[in-house]
Amino acid sequence: MKEMKLFLGPQHPGMHGNAAVHMYVEGDMIVKAFLLPGMLHRGFEKGMERHTWVNNIGLIPRVCVVEPDINEMAFAQGVEMLLGMEIPERAHYIRMIILELARLSTHLMAYGGLGSPTGLYTLMYHAHTDRNTILNIFEKITGHRVYHMYIVPGGVRKDLPVGIEKDIHAFLDDLENRYEEYRDLGINNPTILARITNTIELPAEVVWELGVTGIGMRSAVNKEYDLRKVIPYARYDKIDFTVPIADYSDAKSRVDCKLQEVVQSINIIRQCLVKMPEGEVKLPLGRGQSMRWTVPKGHVYSVVESSRGEFGYYMVSDGGLNPYRVGVRGASYPQGLLGIEKYLPGTRIDDAALWVDTMGVCSPEIDR
Amino acid sequence: MTNSMNNVDYISNLVESNFKLIEKEIVNKNQVSYIIDKESVHSLLTFLKTNGWIQLSYLSAIDWPKENKFELVYIVFNWEMPVYIQVRAMLDRNNPVMPSILPIFPGCKYYERETHEFFGIKFPGNPDHEKQLILEEWDEIPPLRKDFDPRAYSDKKFAKREYTEDFVNLNGQESKQIIRKQRKTKIMNVRKGGKK
Repeated sequence: MKEMKLFLGPQHPGMHGNAAVHMYVEGDMIVKAFLLPGMLHRGFEKGMERHTWVNNIGLIPRVCVVEPDINEMAFAQGVEMLLGMEIPERAHYIRMIILELARLSTHLMAYGGLGSPTGLYTLMYHAHTDRNTILNIFEKITGHRVYHMYIVPGGVRKDLPVGIEKDIHAFLDDLENRYEEYRDLGINNPTILARITNTIELPAEVVWELGVTGIGMRSAVNKEYDLRKVIPYARYDKIDFTVPIADYSDAKSRVDCKLQEVVQSINIIRQCLVKMPEGEVKLPLGRGQSMRWTVPKGHVYSVVESSRGEFGYYMVSDGGLNPYRVGVRGASYPQGLLGIEKYLPGTRIDDAALWVDTMGVCSPEIDR
Repeated sequence: MTNSMNNVDYISNLVESNFKLIEKEIVNKNQVSYIIDKESVHSLLTFLKTNGWIQLSYLSAIDWPKENKFELVYIVFNWEMPVYIQVRAMLDRNNPVMPSILPIFPGCKYYERETHEFFGIKFPGNPDHEKQLILEEWDEIPPLRKDFDPRAYSDKKFAKREYTEDFVNLNGQESKQIIRKQRKTKIMNVRKGGKK
């Protein structure tokens, strides 16, 4: 049969963001595939070198569009590591609430995204409605819906508004009540099950070869390799939660892990709201005018567990007004570039979109 | 996973007894940084990999034009003994060549390709490292070098457009452009430390 060239994306319901998967197919089997990034390159790493430490707060959330808060957290944490400062206790808990809400919204979006490559859009509409509720909560807390610029070096920008607990609890209760319905719509639905069971496996041996982290890794190696457990940042060491794992990584078990993480995130937010102490939420990084704050010399690598895996900022300071170099390790770098090149060949065309969705490939953070 | 401070000490002792480090820097209880000469990078990374640091987290470079050097950074991680290790090595800036670590960490393939694109460092041994990845039809020096000026590049590359005030101000108010300009000069004054 003749070999044919096909593009999945950038305009495709199964493709997340502005990237394309370039596939060579024979019949409906993929022979060769690679990702074509670069349509969303905005030069953030260079841009960050040209702005002051405080200016950069407005720039970094744009690195990953669906989950901007991890960027803020990684950047803020990196600056605090360079300064060697300890932020107020309440700020840690507020950060965790924001991060877990962001994780919920990303997981819901990814789970809803499963509807588009499999052709069942009901799931997507439900998930997007719930994501919208989370965005409403974000709007009340931070003033912004998508890019919050809320987690800043030194704490969080301002305290939680009075009475926001009610909104959060109402949303969490609602989501928990409809959790089984969610499972029935997606992962228990025979139509979707037929598509996601035993497709695009990720064998445990190749996880290390690729460098995949996050749910993709945990569902393959069957160990609790989650940075929130292994290197607890913020106050994750004072919260009880479990990390969902599996011993066989196909699309189904990855989606299952995602849904179990939703339950854990709900649990974490509830605990944070109870355990949160009163007090300050922000400390200044230095004295004087904020545009002239400097940060001591050093090289640090600050990591956060995002919904797709290990998300890191490599930050170098030469003691000046601006960062000397900021390198972003996008969580979806390994599975997006090398994973597509090595493990899509041999699968079918329609599985490519499932890989992109269940492994969590986010093209803005690959391009930066 | 015992006490984490012991983890940093454990690996540092192990590394220092086998390799000659130029500098060691303990960032915190989960992170340590080793500066080593260019020739020993491969043997150090192999040594770390056999000791459990099996995940390559990040690979990139830093430009130091004053010293005429590039600094390569490899970050590896061990999930069983959670310590991030930065391995840093200096390269000559005039002829930046570093043999690829593809046989040790196959995941480095795209990181090296990106580093070549943004810094111009060559990685012989990585078959695809000179292919373009993100920047399409780039015709300048690699953009993350410090001597690359984005402003000058865009001035050269794209036609300059003048935005004139072509509206009539009826009430004799100051136009928004003028207010904006004044605000900008004020901000720049504050940033530079007040009027002089």
